[in-house]
Amino acid sequence: MSVAGAGTAELTPEQLAEVRRLQGLYPDKRAALLPVLQLAQDACGYISLETEAYVARLFDLSPAHVHEVVTFYTLFFREPKGRHVISVCHNLTCHLLGAEDAIAHLKARLGVEVGGTTKDGRVTLLSVECLCACEMAPMMQVDDRYEGPLTPETIDRILEGLQ
Amino acid sequence: MRERLLTGNFHLPQSHTLRVYRETGGYAGLEKAFALPPAAITEEVKKSNLRGLGGAGFPTGIKWGFIPKGHQGPIYLVINADEGEPGTFKDRYLLEKDPHSLIEGMIISAYAIGAHVAFIYVRGEYVRPWRILRQAVEEAYAAGFLGRNILGSGFDLDVVIHRGAGAYICGEETGLISSLEGKKGWPKLKPPFPAVRGAFGAPTIVNNVETICHVPHIMRRGAEWFAGLGTNTQGGTRMYSVSGHVVRPGVYELPVSVTLRTLIYEHAGGLPNGRGLKAVVPGGSSAAILRAGEIDVTMDVDGLKNAGTMAGSAGVIVMDDTVSIPEALMVVARFYAHESCGQCTPCRESTGWIFKMAKRIVEGKGRKEDLDTILDVARRGAGTTICAFYDGAVGPYISYIEKFREEFEALIPRA
Amino acid sequence: MPKLTIDGRESEVPEGTGVIEAARRLGIEVPHYCYHPGLSIAGQCRLCMVEIGNNPRPQIACNTQVVEGMVVRTETPKVLETRQAIMEFHLINHPLDCPVCDQAGECWLQIYYMKHGLYEPRMVDEKVHKPKAVPLGPHVILDAERCILCSRCVRFCDEITGTGELGIFQRGDHSEIGLFPGRELANPYSGNVVDICPVGALTDRDFRFAVRVWYLETAKSICPGCSRGCNIAVHSNLRRPHHDGGRRVARLKPRYHAEVNRWWICDAGRYGYKFVDDPSRVRFPTRGRGDAAAEVGWDEIVPLIAGQLRRYQPGEIGVLASPQMANEDLFLLRRLVDHLGLAHVDFRVPPSRPGDEDRILIKADKNPNRRGAELIGLGPRDGGLDARGMLRAARERRIKCLWVFHHDLLASAWPEGEIREALESLECLLFQGSNGNGVRLLAHYVLPSAAWVEREGTFTNFEGRVQRFWKAVEPLGAARADWEIVARIGEALGLSFMPDTGEDCFKALAATVPAFAGLSYRELRDTGRLVWDCAGRGPA
Repeated sequence: MSVAGAGTAELTPEQLAEVRRLQGLYPDKRAALLPVLQLAQDACGYISLETEAYVARLFDLSPAHVHEVVTFYTLFFREPKGRHVISVCHNLTCHLLGAEDAIAHLKARLGVEVGGTTKDGRVTLLSVECLCACEMAPMMQVDDRYEGPLTPETIDRILEGLQ
Repeated sequence: MRERLLTGNFHLPQSHTLRVYRETGGYAGLEKAFALPPAAITEEVKKSNLRGLGGAGFPTGIKWGFIPKGHQGPIYLVINADEGEPGTFKDRYLLEKDPHSLIEGMIISAYAIGAHVAFIYVRGEYVRPWRILRQAVEEAYAAGFLGRNILGSGFDLDVVIHRGAGAYICGEETGLISSLEGKKGWPKLKPPFPAVRGAFGAPTIVNNVETICHVPHIMRRGAEWFAGLGTNTQGGTRMYSVSGHVVRPGVYELPVSVTLRTLIYEHAGGLPNGRGLKAVVPGGSSAAILRAGEIDVTMDVDGLKNAGTMAGSAGVIVMDDTVSIPEALMVVARFYAHESCGQCTPCRESTGWIFKMAKRIVEGKGRKEDLDTILDVARRGAGTTICAFYDGAVGPYISYIEKFREEFEALIPRA
Repeated sequence: MPKLTIDGRESEVPEGTGVIEAARRLGIEVPHYCYHPGLSIAGQCRLCMVEIGNNPRPQIACNTQVVEGMVVRTETPKVLETRQAIMEFHLINHPLDCPVCDQAGECWLQIYYMKHGLYEPRMVDEKVHKPKAVPLGPHVILDAERCILCSRCVRFCDEITGTGELGIFQRGDHSEIGLFPGRELANPYSGNVVDICPVGALTDRDFRFAVRVWYLETAKSICPGCSRGCNIAVHSNLRRPHHDGGRRVARLKPRYHAEVNRWWICDAGRYGYKFVDDPSRVRFPTRGRGDAAAEVGWDEIVPLIAGQLRRYQPGEIGVLASPQMANEDLFLLRRLVDHLGLAHVDFRVPPSRPGDEDRILIKADKNPNRRGAELIGLGPRDGGLDARGMLRAARERRIKCLWVFHHDLLASAWPEGEIREALESLECLLFQGSNGNGVRLLAHYVLPSAAWVEREGTFTNFEGRVQRFWKAVEPLGAARADWEIVARIGEALGLSFMPDTGEDCFKALAATVPAFAGLSYRELRDTGRLVWDCAGRGPA
């Protein structure tokens, strides 16, 4: 998704072809809304209001109905995020096995609060509900990967690998 | 010898590939299935006593039987791979290590119910499982297991993998359908039930990953054999996700007649560091908690029901004697407050309220009436909502306080 | 048709009826917030719980369809306890700001708390905070903290207008209704969301802080804004006029009519009553043109006008009635026209631009009674001139006296200069209307008409339905219903029929005009009667 001037967000012809392919997979094209929002977010890093309005037009939906969807799901980012996203599970098993310590360690190392992004734009730190990898608790998701069990040492090693 | 139907291939290198799956007898159940009329498969599944392994434990064959007879028009099969119940991770293993067993199960199940399109709803955070599954689906298409005229049977099936975007409620079957339709994951009013009017207005069967992975085994080895592995009311094995304070956390495939004690102490190696057991959540976070003395129960749907809790998703969370139950309740209450979809008033309003009370208690600012308020609010809200989410939250709210009340009271300042 | 029993009473209802509607037919109100008969079933508020058969758990009555032999109980201890619990859930995060809330007095949180709540409050924690006093559009303002998320407004915009402006964003107890950022709620029916909002979340900017609802009087009425004839209620503020700058009509609300407007009205109609208390109102009869105009009493002006009408030959007089006038007015005018033997009569003046129309309620014809004027026969008689012809004849000084009812001819589709010249050419221009306009400024005599809320009467809508409207407030100044004015002038001219009331006019109308045969005010009741089959172009 290229951002051509303030407030506009448009897909490339190739991406639009993918949108049409996704819409064609379902009996009702609206069903492709989540995949298309995922596509837009992958292209743009986050989903701006302009993107929401643009996607609404692709689906003949009112922008309010796209906004409902974007604000409902936790994996849609409504603001620019860091180059990497760390989501630490703070649910029951991870809590029992030290999620709070892991979060405290990450906060100290990154110098951000939960929900914040490092000044250099490298990492956004989040705490999330169960990622369903309790066997590796305490654990976190780093971009696409699951990492755990977390110790100060494993966390430091993972952080070193993030550019 | 211990039967390992679902996890038998997990140890093999490249277990997720079509090659390994076929070498170990994969897709043999499919050929058997195509030799039968669809209704006979549903009958087999009924006889097998296979029950839904996502959480509700509903008999699978009976669910399939709810599709209106003689229905004209599309019917959909939807696989619930939106694993989200805290303490549960079995479906992730199946998707990563044996995706073809899911695909084979889907083909047989779709054939049985008359579906020609199947959707697999994979939770959005599961990126690696999704990639592996996608690859497996491509392999299956290339080998003629999906698409037109599968194995010359005349049966067609297309599979669409649909990724979620982060919402626990989409694991609820009608919330999942809403999400699949491109909406917020708000559960739908019942009636109509999905088997009558589900996804895109068509009859729809939603089944959990593990449930469907069992189907090829039922086909290969027969319903009676499968039923014989379990109890009178629940056939087969199931995958227990064990986590928390145990020596060997992980997935254990066992007959449902296994006891919780055996699962924790024999299979998962007991508690580490010589600590004593305080409590266990036996079926994912929505199951009522059990005290250390209550673990001599069998892990089937009815065994745990009789113990006042539930088998749920078979996520077993073990807590040693250092755990603060009030803190655990606060963590669990935060989860339900965060994941309530907001549709029904009792759930929307009271999950947040109960979290605030639980947090206040942990922070030493509890009031003596708080505990009874939580219990009363939970009891009065139970059963009043569209879906079972709130009833799931009520499980821990009530059981944590009732079973460990003195721990809560110790945190509340005396007036 | 399945039979069922509700609270021990048997009833038979059509297949597919919801339990909540079946109960309503028996006069049993099952409390509810999200259910609305004009919208899809949401089942979100969970308040309409009833016990059905032996089902151990109460069920929602809105989404349960009646089946043969069903036994429903709406007042069992379990139901009452559940209701009370649900009321508490609805209120724990509510700001309880009734003293500054416009909805107070007609708020279903207040009403149901008193009926079904009455628990000891136990919420001591910080409530969830959400946006307050957010204007959503020209007419509607939102307080998201008061919102109980029943989704009626969202469904209205999705299902009735199809505009989809509103949504419920976020989730859990942070869920809130709202607009897509930067958009407005400005569809032509936006005011209806205020009506269907059961609480004080959506309030009317026009009514905001104007009057407490318990000071309002209600009169049944018909919207005069177009030929649809939407049924409305006029809410007037007679007891505390100083609370609203002397404005007597406080607001209009839709009144349910199954065939005409269901539960809705358009914004143009809802807010179109401002002329009633506008400074442009004509309050007293005047004689003399422009600066020379002087207020006079009825006793003085009636003989003067009668004298003018007597002075000219019938062929020199034109009468331009208005489709804004009620059937009663038009009937009496027709009597007078016949009595005087006038032929140049019409009521049709094309508007300066065509009116908007849609497939919901709004009709292009912005007059409430064109069909009535047609049926009563206010068109040219015996080769007489139509409206345009009369004005041409006025320019040529063939028509010397013109009696214009309500029309602002200078703001019509016709060339203003030509019309002005015509009006200025007249020896005698009579203007009769409720509000001043360009014609009034040129008139030699002005007669003040009561506005529709200041009198009773009937309109015949586009499909031929005759509907009554009732008097809500007294006429301003010396204004009178058009028929009363016509009657007084007719009396001075020897017209024998002298009605005392609007109902007398209507009786005579029913006895004279075939389309209205057999009708009476009693017969019309609240729902009116279809008298004309528009498709068949004949009596219904």
